[in-house]
Amino acid sequence: MAGKIKTMIDSIIQQRAKNNPMLEGVIRTKLMLKGIDSKKYTAQSDDDPAVISKLEALVKDLK
Amino acid sequence: MNIVSAYSSAESVAAAVCELQGEFANLDVKMVVYYASSKYAPEAVSLKMQEAFPAAAVFGCSTAGEIASGKMMTNSITAMAFNAQALSDVEIAVVENLQDEQGVEQAFASFARHFGASMLDLNPKRYVGIVLVDGLSGAEERLIDKIGDLTDITFIGGSAGDDLKFAATHVYANGKSYQGAAVLALLKPAVEFSFIKTQSFNVLPETLVVTKANEEKREVVEFDNQPAAEAYARALGISVAEAADRFMHNPVGLVIDGEPFVRSPQRIKDGSMFFYCGVVEGMELSILESTDIIDDTRKALGEARAQLGSISGVINFNCILRTLELEQKQATVAYGALFAEVPTVGFSTYGEQYIGHINQTATMLLFK
Repeated sequence: MAGKIKTMIDSIIQQRAKNNPMLEGVIRTKLMLKGIDSKKYTAQSDDDPAVISKLEALVKDLK
Repeated sequence: MNIVSAYSSAESVAAAVCELQGEFANLDVKMVVYYASSKYAPEAVSLKMQEAFPAAAVFGCSTAGEIASGKMMTNSITAMAFNAQALSDVEIAVVENLQDEQGVEQAFASFARHFGASMLDLNPKRYVGIVLVDGLSGAEERLIDKIGDLTDITFIGGSAGDDLKFAATHVYANGKSYQGAAVLALLKPAVEFSFIKTQSFNVLPETLVVTKANEEKREVVEFDNQPAAEAYARALGISVAEAADRFMHNPVGLVIDGEPFVRSPQRIKDGSMFFYCGVVEGMELSILESTDIIDDTRKALGEARAQLGSISGVINFNCILRTLELEQKQATVAYGALFAEVPTVGFSTYGEQYIGHINQTATMLLFK
């Protein structure tokens, strides 16, 4: 499978930043500090379970 | 003035606190933040500071050196007081056990009760957080990571020090002293505020990718599938034996939109490199080269002043490695002088927080 990471990142940024470019930058920085470079992932990127696990934890905190 | 800073170098806790109380006597104090040398007994300093300002929110931590308006110091207490014209509201929460995964959530629940909205719903332009954390806990990454997951409000702060003894660091709130803990303060300033994150480094073209790490120990085992120390030395064109001498001048940084988030090497052991903050497998780190702290800080303050129009108070979290470099270059007087015109409080930290946990950086909270 591929593309799940990009989908999750896009969803997190959409929910948190709400089209605020400043907040979007901060969220991308937070992801970078977790070791997730949001700009590296595309719809073709492999579904790395370790990265997905980090993103799932973040999604949980959004609820 | 609605924000006032003061310091005391008195020998006893009682005398130092009494001096600070006198300096703030004309202010209807709503909040006091203070930073105290480790020469002062932790329990006594926290208790006496709270007793001196019983109606105020009072919090602080131990230091590796203090900063006041116009000077860098040691063996003192430096403090800043705010009245209601500068600060509309404030709430303090203590994460008493940094190993407790629910600690930040519980602190945030108390903020939500106090301010009547969840931490995800409060406006980041109207609220700001201060974090002071045990500087020997090794837990800052998890803490600031969790804070960042749960809110869009900026938390800025520093890791407590102990005058380079590396024995015990303390955070203070509610008249108590804590270890293995963090104090979180959520402020609703009545004035505009801004941030500075300044580090004095150029980003060099050489990069190192973390291919094997022990994240809990802040250890990089391999860069680019080579023993970390060898790869670092090769990138600098030096031998492994010379590498440790270059740590302060050439740390590494995670560069985001041209801005380095500095990771400072601490030591080499068995070919691995240990850092003062977290490194994660897959991170691409750039080699950095130090520049002039005085010039860069002056520039950062000038830009902040231009943005805010004026500055009525600065809280400065300045890395101890920067302080050591300033001492080496006999530049502490010049650094202090950068803050001579503005009420300033701060300390030399064992780590800085701004979005993440970082090293060799000064993070500052500025009020208009």
